[in-house]
Amino acid sequence: MANNILKFSLNRSTNVEKLADGNLLSVCRLRDSFSDAEIRMVVKMPDLEIAEISGNFRHAYLDEVEVLNDLLQKLLGVRVGAGMLKIIKGLLGSAENLDQITYMVEEACHGVILHLTKKVLLKAPDDEAGQQIFYSKMVKKSIRLYDRCAAFAKGSPLVAELEAEKRAGGEL
Amino acid sequence: MISEFNRNKVVDVARLDDDTLVVHGILDDSIYSLELDFKVQVSDLTCFEIGGRWLRWTTPECPKALDFLAQAEGFCLACGIDEKIHKTIGRSSCRHFANLFIECAYAVRETVKLMRWQAAKSSGSKLSCKDFLAQEKSADGSLPKELSVEVEVKSEAITTTTNAVSVPVVGPSKKPLATVNLGGAGFIVDLHLHTAPASPCASDSVDAMIVEAKRIGLNGVCLTDHNYLWSPEDIQALREKHDFLILRANEIVTEQGDMLVFGFYEDVQGIIKLKELKKLVAAVGGFIVAAHPFRGFLTFGADDIGLTKEKASSRDMFQWVDGVESLNGKVTETENGLARDVAVGLGLPATGGSDAHDILSVGLYATAFAHPIKSEEELLVALKEGKYQPVTFR
Repeated sequence: MANNILKFSLNRSTNVEKLADGNLLSVCRLRDSFSDAEIRMVVKMPDLEIAEISGNFRHAYLDEVEVLNDLLQKLLGVRVGAGMLKIIKGLLGSAENLDQITYMVEEACHGVILHLTKKVLLKAPDDEAGQQIFYSKMVKKSIRLYDRCAAFAKGSPLVAELEAEKRAGGEL
Repeated sequence: MISEFNRNKVVDVARLDDDTLVVHGILDDSIYSLELDFKVQVSDLTCFEIGGRWLRWTTPECPKALDFLAQAEGFCLACGIDEKIHKTIGRSSCRHFANLFIECAYAVRETVKLMRWQAAKSSGSKLSCKDFLAQEKSADGSLPKELSVEVEVKSEAITTTTNAVSVPVVGPSKKPLATVNLGGAGFIVDLHLHTAPASPCASDSVDAMIVEAKRIGLNGVCLTDHNYLWSPEDIQALREKHDFLILRANEIVTEQGDMLVFGFYEDVQGIIKLKELKKLVAAVGGFIVAAHPFRGFLTFGADDIGLTKEKASSRDMFQWVDGVESLNGKVTETENGLARDVAVGLGLPATGGSDAHDILSVGLYATAFAHPIKSEEELLVALKEGKYQPVTFR
């Protein structure tokens, strides 16, 4: 069999748009060699709660989820935010044919978070010195960023100010 | 219709030779653009020669993330790998590289299934892909190990099991507790604490956490491990070992978020509806505190999305809880402030807890009670009396 011929390909896209009532519509689509699926959700603002959700899922070897849309309604009211994954997994369950659905719901939620993140990041200045100040302030305001990635790792210039304050307070 | 945020991911998997796959992944969205390249040994699904590239990023330090991608060298991309990728690549490199890596790992597993079916077809099998994989699965009762689909949540959806166990409330310690001069500050208990291994997300042992709590001068701690019920015998043993007040509660996951539950000793697994939890807890005279009710996000908070006190107070959850955690060590000042405003507005008592997962955070915040507490019964009475307040301790 010839080598270097593509065996498998995957395309996943997530798009978020603002609706006329201020709520957000997030849609995650997947097309890969086995799957064709879509999850659509409306997230109520500013509560960030899932207000509407629907989906479809076709797969080459997994059984159809016959009651997919009924099942998805269990997610109504779930808040998009920290800790949502365990809630989504817990509510949808662990059946093999729901694995990808769960992931797509999570991706649609992440789309909403990234959309809101983008709004904050647009305020960052263009010059490096300005960025240094901007992101140093960001990590001080949101301590959860500290030591959560290479950019905000211990010893990074972006956390120098925060670490100095921690040292002064006896936390380091 | 204008799409304001777009994320596109493309993953391609090709075969280099009989036992090697080459993987190329692209993540391109409104904020970031990055690529991953690596190879995978088909026989054991281990990955190697990992390389990455940034095209667009945010902070001046983001490029350093590339230095840590090599931590995934040798990872077996089979079941359970997602969590490991989050914890290594996500934490030391970048969560967006981790996200793409997880997508690539999924593609690799699917590719191997496709290759097996195609190989069977070449050998004369007439089975459809679905029938072939079903036959493989039934042949040994499950999919081959390297092909198994991840199952990270063991509990069945919605089926909340509450294994009622008859557990006596832990009473006063047989040994007198170490006396602490309370002064005018009250009796200080950290009401929100996690320990390893009871909480998988915690990194320090219960002994280490207690030693630290004593060292910094707390009067007691309440263990609130996630959906985990400490036995009264274990608690008693810890009390005697450390000569310190140790209490039990439970941080239970509901569809509306995490709840700190006091005076309720059932082993709740899975996700429970808050309304249902309230019924169960009320039936035994327990007490529910909404834990970090406005825990937000990494880069934006409630203020950035226009969540006002009035809107926040109208959340359904507040009709089912008895109190609000308004000082939590894992959230921002703004988020704690909003929780405090909502508690005041709704007339609900407020508590404080560090939510510590390691010794460095123990006692960051706590709850100051008007009177000393010696047992879980006394804690419950005190919580219902409302004579306490959240405090910054450390």
